[in-house]
Amino acid sequence: MNYTYFPGCCMEGTASDYDASARAVMIALGNELVELPDWNCCGATGAEVLSHLLSVALPARNLAKAQASGDQIVATCSSCYFNLFRVNALLAGNPELQGELDAVLAGVGLRYDGRLRVRHLLELLVTDVGVRAIVRRAQRRLGGIRVAPYYGCLVVRPYAEFDGPDLPVSMDRLLTALGASVVPYAMKTRCCGGVLMTTQPDIALKLVGDLLGPIRDVDCVVTVCPLCQINLEAYQREVGDRLGTPLQIPIIYFTQLLGLAFGLPESDLKLQSNLMGMEKLTKRLSQLGAWV
Amino acid sequence: MPEKAFNLTREMLDHSFAETVAPDREKLLTCIQCGTCTASCPTAYAMDYTPRQLWRLVQLGLRDEALHSRTFWLCTNCYSCTIRCPRGISLTETMAALKRLAIAEDVQGEELAHVSRFYRAFMETVRRHGRNYEPELLVRYFFNTGPLGLVDQAPLGLAMWRHGRISLTPKPNGARAEVETIFRKVAEVDALRSLRSERDQEAHA
Repeated sequence: MNYTYFPGCCMEGTASDYDASARAVMIALGNELVELPDWNCCGATGAEVLSHLLSVALPARNLAKAQASGDQIVATCSSCYFNLFRVNALLAGNPELQGELDAVLAGVGLRYDGRLRVRHLLELLVTDVGVRAIVRRAQRRLGGIRVAPYYGCLVVRPYAEFDGPDLPVSMDRLLTALGASVVPYAMKTRCCGGVLMTTQPDIALKLVGDLLGPIRDVDCVVTVCPLCQINLEAYQREVGDRLGTPLQIPIIYFTQLLGLAFGLPESDLKLQSNLMGMEKLTKRLSQLGAWV
Repeated sequence: MPEKAFNLTREMLDHSFAETVAPDREKLLTCIQCGTCTASCPTAYAMDYTPRQLWRLVQLGLRDEALHSRTFWLCTNCYSCTIRCPRGISLTETMAALKRLAIAEDVQGEELAHVSRFYRAFMETVRRHGRNYEPELLVRYFFNTGPLGLVDQAPLGLAMWRHGRISLTPKPNGARAEVETIFRKVAEVDALRSLRSERDQEAHA
């Protein structure tokens, strides 16, 4: 099946490995992510601070354009998913906002009234495709590698459309079914600090320390969001200094791990993009992960 | 932070404040000061007023005190407080509204300078390209807050580039012109709305 895909800005740059692995995994499952043409930034957390209406209008343009190709849209970035979903939530029962949005979008010949279903790729995989079909497609077991699934915030909060807002389990179940050993991870929905890593690094480094500090003896942390990935991965030297213990934990997108289970080539999953180096993980996998 | 006492006077209180910043004023007024928000907040430890205390300021209408707080600038939009609030108050959205108001009223402060300049740099980049382009965003931001910050970021930037995660030029796209129109239209509608609400207030007075 073809799905209209909203990549979002990170997917063109810092998270091009997430983008590549998401597309590759979907193709391996007999589906296709078809990129929405001429999409624009969803506004991230910035638009809301300048203008509430702008934070609705920017994602709404994408939704309006996506109506031409079906009744749903899929995002991979948690922040994009949240912003698109939020348009529907805010428009419901708010004719005043609908009127203002109409006035703005009329300027570009579009209209949107909240009718599109907004999905996150994790949701699509565990509900529509299904864990069973994914396990069937796997060519090797994840062989008991130890993984900590990290969900972060916006994929489950505030909307909690497909999983619990405090203790989600969808990724845990998926990875367990594929043969990974999922460690209990109490910090799995605690915030990574988001943009504070640039604007208030002292605070964000403390938050990342709270997340990585309790993790012992795992082969990787698994994420669903580009900003979480970079905050957890790129500052491990500074965080390790603060914790008084050196850190070198690979932070991998769930789609990359699925791709490895599917036996897809590492270049298709862009494993070489990871700053931590994936050699140790892939070596462990080849030792532990029996081909099926 | 030690408890702060106020000698409340009529002049200090703005009874329309909750109305201005809360998406649902009636709900905010039902806050029972249980502190679940503060306990759930990952950055509360660094705030001057905890989230719980901030809601009390808003309830009372202590507008200046609330707007000069650093609390809402440290909100990361994680929505932990919102989903746990036993009163179902839209706390995260209220934090955002406080940011907007502080910028609109040109409140000065260190956190505001950094966080709001970042958001501004971000939105300027998006307006110019239709999408975010990370290198331009960082250059814009650090030029406004201290170019030395760019030197700190350089090793990470280089590593990201070596790993193919930063391109030297933005990828061209067909969204630019329409995004510019949307920014312009939003500004018009926003201006019209505030004009109307000013008129309403005058008519009321």
